[in-house]
Amino acid sequence: MSITPEKLKYCNSHEWAYVADVSTGIATIGISAFAVEELTDLVFMALPKVGQTVTAGGEFGEVESVKAVSPMYSPVSGTVVDIHSALVDKLETLTVDPYNEGWIIKVKMSDPTELDRLLDWETYKKQCSH
Amino acid sequence: MAIDEALLQNVESDWPIVIRVYRWERPTLSLGHFQRIDDRIEHPLLRELPWVRRKTGGGAIVHDQELTYSVLIPTRDDNPAKGHSEPLYRAIHSAFVEKLRSLGWNAELSESCTCSTSEGRNTDPFLCFLRRSPVDIIIGDDKILGSAQRRSARGLLQHGSFLLRRSQCTPGLNGLLDTKKKSTSLKNLRDDWIADASNHAACDTLSEDEMNGWCELAISTLKAGMSKRVEVNWKNGRLSDLI
Repeated sequence: MSITPEKLKYCNSHEWAYVADVSTGIATIGISAFAVEELTDLVFMALPKVGQTVTAGGEFGEVESVKAVSPMYSPVSGTVVDIHSALVDKLETLTVDPYNEGWIIKVKMSDPTELDRLLDWETYKKQCSH
Repeated sequence: MAIDEALLQNVESDWPIVIRVYRWERPTLSLGHFQRIDDRIEHPLLRELPWVRRKTGGGAIVHDQELTYSVLIPTRDDNPAKGHSEPLYRAIHSAFVEKLRSLGWNAELSESCTCSTSEGRNTDPFLCFLRRSPVDIIIGDDKILGSAQRRSARGLLQHGSFLLRRSQCTPGLNGLLDTKKKSTSLKNLRDDWIADASNHAACDTLSEDEMNGWCELAISTLKAGMSKRVEVNWKNGRLSDLI
């Protein structure tokens, strides 16, 4: 099933989180189409290792567009359980499909209530239009 | 350059915009944030150079007969760095183009790009000055100024390198003073030191006075470029006032 942007929760810093099955406590994390457009041509991405812990609002990786390096911030706290390593060699996927094929990491959440602090689609959209 | 990194790590929203222009004590290679140090092995003249890694992206730079600049912009509501990278590059680079054209050089913004998003970063040349990105400053086929950025939640750091003369470490890369002016008329020149620099184009190295003169020109041009994006009351400051 395709994930649409309306189903996601967002950080101010343009990362998104999606929980497919609440019982697993696993959030899939990526960056929004707006972020990809702002960054323009992406040339490199550095990802964390599986097993690494991340904190909500803390850096989990870096992305380099044409001569600008930007950190990526985790929307939730927890442990990285999967990384999309194939994405690093095919960053154009983020332009084509940032919400499905362009997922970046999966995190086993230590505190799922952190999701409640994230922005919904409508609020995030308004932020991007400013 | 470590000071730039420290400034970005510590920047607060109430800090001023900070411009720095500096030179290096000895020829040094700085790598873009994601570049591999092993890649310099392919370049015999660069192997023995001391090296550092920048926080900003882009290609490797030999800091020799050049000036390095940094601009630090704190994150706040009137943030002139919000959004795309390109407007800030364009504002600063356009100011340099205007200044250099007024001095007789046929400087312009590059429209070409060597970057490849489909085949990965390895297709890009190792050296920044062999790469072409939109709004790099070129004179003919020679790139004489390029910049790179790093963004964080706290602020934005932009580095740039203004290549004044070719380095013995990169003899194929012409600097500004190795290029020809579009006109021999110097009537637009207001500063004697620039005329001196131009008339001694065969010299291998720039004198202290010449370097200092170019430093002053770079600072005033950076201020002019930034002022296109945001209103700033510039003043000379001390790093100890910030950190």
